[in-house]
Order: sequence, then structure tokens, then C-alpha cells
Amino acid sequence: MDRRHVLQSAAAVSALAALGPARGAGTVKVAVMIPQSGPAGLFGPSAKACAELAAEVINARGGLLGQRIEVLFGDAGLAPAEASQAALRLWKGAGAAACIGMHDSAVRGALVGLFKAQLPYVYTPVYEGGECAKGTYLVGETPQQQLQPVIPWIAAERKPRKWYLIGNDYIWGRNTNAVAKGYIEKTGAQVVGDEYLPFTVDNFDASLARIRDSGADAVLASLVGGAAVGFNKAYASFGLTDKALRLGTMIEENTLAGIGPENARNLYASAGYFASLTTPAAVAFANAYGKRFGPQAPALSGLAESVYEGFLTLETIARKAGSLAVARMDAACEGASYSGPRGAVTLRARHVEQDVYVADVGDRGFRIVKTFARVASGQTCKA
Amino acid sequence: MDGGTLLHALNLVYELATLALTTLGLAVVFGLLGVLNMAHGEFVMVGADSVVAVQQWGLPTPLAFVLAAAVCAALGWVVERWLIRPLYGRPFDTLLATWALAMLMRKLVEAIWGKGFRHVENTLTAAVPLLGTSYPAYRLGLIALAAALLTGLFLWYRRSSAGLRVRAMTGNPMLAQALGIDTQRLASQAFVIGVVLAGASGVMLAPLIRIEPGIGVDYLLDAFFVLVVGGLGTFGGFAGGVGLIGGSQAVVSSIAGQTSGYAVVLILSILFLWLKPDGLFARR
Repeated sequence: MDRRHVLQSAAAVSALAALGPARGAGTVKVAVMIPQSGPAGLFGPSAKACAELAAEVINARGGLLGQRIEVLFGDAGLAPAEASQAALRLWKGAGAAACIGMHDSAVRGALVGLFKAQLPYVYTPVYEGGECAKGTYLVGETPQQQLQPVIPWIAAERKPRKWYLIGNDYIWGRNTNAVAKGYIEKTGAQVVGDEYLPFTVDNFDASLARIRDSGADAVLASLVGGAAVGFNKAYASFGLTDKALRLGTMIEENTLAGIGPENARNLYASAGYFASLTTPAAVAFANAYGKRFGPQAPALSGLAESVYEGFLTLETIARKAGSLAVARMDAACEGASYSGPRGAVTLRARHVEQDVYVADVGDRGFRIVKTFARVASGQTCKA
Repeated sequence: MDGGTLLHALNLVYELATLALTTLGLAVVFGLLGVLNMAHGEFVMVGADSVVAVQQWGLPTPLAFVLAAAVCAALGWVVERWLIRPLYGRPFDTLLATWALAMLMRKLVEAIWGKGFRHVENTLTAAVPLLGTSYPAYRLGLIALAAALLTGLFLWYRRSSAGLRVRAMTGNPMLAQALGIDTQRLASQAFVIGVVLAGASGVMLAPLIRIEPGIGVDYLLDAFFVLVVGGLGTFGGFAGGVGLIGGSQAVVSSIAGQTSGYAVVLILSILFLWLKPDGLFARR
């Protein structure tokens, strides 16, 4: 952002702040921070649709604490400082009374610092764990949730002896694999390799040669987006699919579309939501989404759907607290629960206990092969 | 040579072949016209998207070459005529103009197909057994194709009269014009050939790479590093750049990890810009 833009936006914010929060009678504004640009921008349209659907559903049953929800969108696909400017405009400028965010952890850090527990903030995507800031509610799957039941299950089903861990070189990839190590060793298997790739890598040959040489019969790939696509395509072309199974913790519907189902044999994905879930609640949600946005609707994925869960979480805690004030919400949130597209969700330590699904891949995409009910987040934030 | 060594050797050759393919178009345009086409990677993307489109329409995959060549040639001709030609001799303005073109092309593709990942079906990507190891058949074909293409282009540039005229134009444009060489037409052709080469490389790589609107930058950056190291306008420089960048990346990555591999490429580029700004084999 150049200096002129900074000045312009600063002027805009102060002008709006001078007018005061323009809170209409009977409406409550909810800021929704989702990537509308940048590499994660591809999740923008579906996340936006999920936010709109959630607001309509909640409004139809009486609104948030009796007030009609008005959704305000901000771009979280920018650098943390700029994304937090956008959030500031929605909060102080437009008068948002709560924030729901689906974006990377760097932006989350900036928003936690910006809100300083003065605004309830629901962070929705898969994340690495460890966030305990007050007024911040984390509904995304933690590494413990995605792996603690799943690795022993894979051990029983497929009996891998040697695991190779690979991930993108940042906090989520490293934390996920670090957590996995403990679970793998408990199954009696061995970790034979552990490597982290910068986001710029688009040639995975060196890593694939190492995987082949390590004799691994299972690979945990904590790779994101384009890296997951490139890695898994090359993995299949080297004929490794039958040598070693793959487990991915961020293989969602868009990523799979890039990989191609024929390259995804022996690939398992673990998540709290898949678009192909057949539970009644998930089917009802998918139908409502399809009816509302039509056949051209942006494809559903676990990341997009998490925004819908974020709204349900906000509604649930606010109802129990009778307020959107952070102190009252923090006091009330423990044990609050609701039932949504993912299944039964209960708040524990400002994280959630939720069902976790394991899918493998058939010709037409994900097939749910195992459900683990009410898996704990493994996070222990103090009240 | 045992299977493991052969695998590493093939990976190295493959890296060099793909790097040569994706850089060639930029080298032609930059080397002959002195224009750094920032939209180069987007022409590679057009190639990959052509394969997706052809498969969506249910047509035979090789038609993607025709589609990509047609789209890139038409676009390249228009761009050279109305964007590049008025800006010859103004390198910085050309840089900005072609960067804008790159953004426009990305947004157009986003508008047509969305930002999501797309995928190309190909049965030839599977591995075939080869002297104690196994290697994806498609990659072997790609390596052969790249070698043939480069040899052909080298011979054409050295032997044909068209190559002679191009060399005359780049050596001394005024004199070439005085000798009756239509330098404008030649420049237009060189640009079109450059972007069609980029598109063709996109078609060839499509089954192996991720396909989404943002991929262009990857190919632009790698190609740029090759030109920084190799210098402009000579085949020796081009080959040296590809060898040094691709080779060091592949070798260091397999020994010391991907982060070190990428770091070496960046350090090499900085050192060359600093100590040998004209590259390995400078024309000037």
C-alpha cells in the first residue's frame, strides 16, 4: 500500500468514526474477514456464500440476540497489516459488533492484536492450535483432532511401519507434523523422514526421491493448496501410490480437483467437513446451499463451510451469554453446544469438540470411510 | 549406473528440459527485441488452460497445441503492434505495460474459469520401468521433445536466412533497415514466436503441473533467473543459464533440501547481477 492509500484510508476511517457506529435499530453488523484476493482468494466466493446463507438462516429464526444480522465483508487475503486495516474499518468505521474470520494464522495474529478482546472474534479454518487469546473462539480442526484418532485407525487398517512426514515450512505444517510424530510412535511405527518445503517450491522430485529411498509405506503431507496439488500429482506419476499410502490434513475439494481423482489412489484426507458428507444435517445444508445459490454456486469445501459453523458458534455463545460483550461470552462459552452441518459441536477451552471424518478418493471424489464422534481439540486454554 | 543414480540423473535432465522449454520464449523476446515480457508466464498459463478447455469440449488433446498457438499468436501480434511497438527503447515502460498485461490475462482467466485448481487427464504420466528404476513416460517424452525443439531452433537460427536477418536486426537495426530488411515485421514475428513457444510449453507441461490463474509468476521468475545468469542473445548463454540455475537447484535440493536449493538460485542471481551483469556469455 502506498502512502496515498494509507492517508486515504486513515481519513476514511476517522471520518466514519466521527459519525459514530451507525447501528440501525434492530440490526447487528457482523464483520466477515475472508480472502478475496491473493493465493487463498479461490476460497473467497464459496466462503462469502456460506456467510450469506448463515446470516439468512439465523435471521429467519429471529436473528442474533433478536437483531437482524447484516454481514460486512473484508479482504483477509492481504498482508496482515493491511487485512487488519480492513478489519478496523469494519469495526470502528462501520460498527461491526463481532468478527468471523477464515484466513491464515498471520492475519489471525494481527486481528487478535487489533481487537484486544474488545470484539468477539470467531476464527474458523483448520489451524495449528495454541491460540488462547480472550474473546477468540476457534472452531477449526486442530492437528490433534485431525490425527489423534486417525493415525491409530490407519495403523489398524493398513499397518504402515514407516512414516515419512512432509509439510510446508511454516507454523501449521511444522506443528501438524510435530503432533503426528507422537501418535505415530505410539502405534509402534517409525518416522523415517521429516522435511519442510518453502511455498515457492513447484518441483518435488528431490523430496519424492527421498521418500522412495526411505522405504516409507505411509506419507503424511501437511502441504497447502498449490504445493499439495503439485506434490500429489508428481507422487502419482512416479508410481508411489501403491508403495505408500498418503494422509493429508488440508486436502479439501478444490485441492482434490487440482490433483485429479486418478492421482489420488491410497490418499486419505481427514477433516471436520466434506461436501460429500451424507449425514442428514450435512445433506440439508448442502441442499439449502444449492437451492440458495443455484447450480453455478461456488463449490463447497471444508474451509468455506467453516464460515457457516463460525456463525452458528457466534449465535450459540451469544445466546448463552445473552450478550455480545466479550467478558460475558468468555464466561458463558464453556460447554455451549449446537448441532450444525458437521454434527454436534461443543465449546471447550474456546475451541470445539467436533466429529472428524476420514475420506479416501474414488472416481467421483471423496468417499467418507470413517467417522470419529466428538473428538477433543487437545487445547487447554485457561478461562 | 544403478537405479537410484539414474533416477537423480533423469530428474536433473527433466528439470533442465522444463526450464529450457519455459525460458525459451522469454529468451527469444528478450534477446532479440530487448523487451522483458512480464506476461511471459501468463502465456505459459494460456497453454495449460488450452489443454483443460480442449478436454472439456471433448476434443482430442493434441488439438490443444493448435488452440494455444492460435490464441497466443493472435494475442502476441496484437500486443506487439499496439503495446510493445510504441514503447521500443523505453524498457521500464515496457516492463510496466507487460506487467499490466499479465494482470489482465490472469483476471480474464479468473473471470472465465474461476480461481480454482483445474486438472488435465493424461494416461501417459504413469511410470514405466527403465534400467533398474522407473520413470514417468510423459516426462521422458517431454525431455526428448525439448531436446528436439532446442536443436531445431538452434539450427534454424544459425543456418536459415531468417535467422541471419534477425541477427542483422538485433546487431544494428538502422543498418538492417537500410539494407531493406523489414525490421518491424521481423520484430512482430519474433514476439509472436516467443509467446507461441511459451504457450506450447504450457501445453506440454499441463499434465504435470498445478493449473490455476496464478501459475504465471513461477515461470516468469525462473526464466528471469536463467536470463540473468546466462546473459542475452546467445545460445551459449541460454544453455549456461539453464544449466547453472536448473542444475544447482536440482542438485542442491536433493542433497541439502528444497530451502537450500531455492536459496542457491537466489544467491547465484544476486551474484551475477552484481559481478557479471551481462551474464556468462555477454553479447555486448
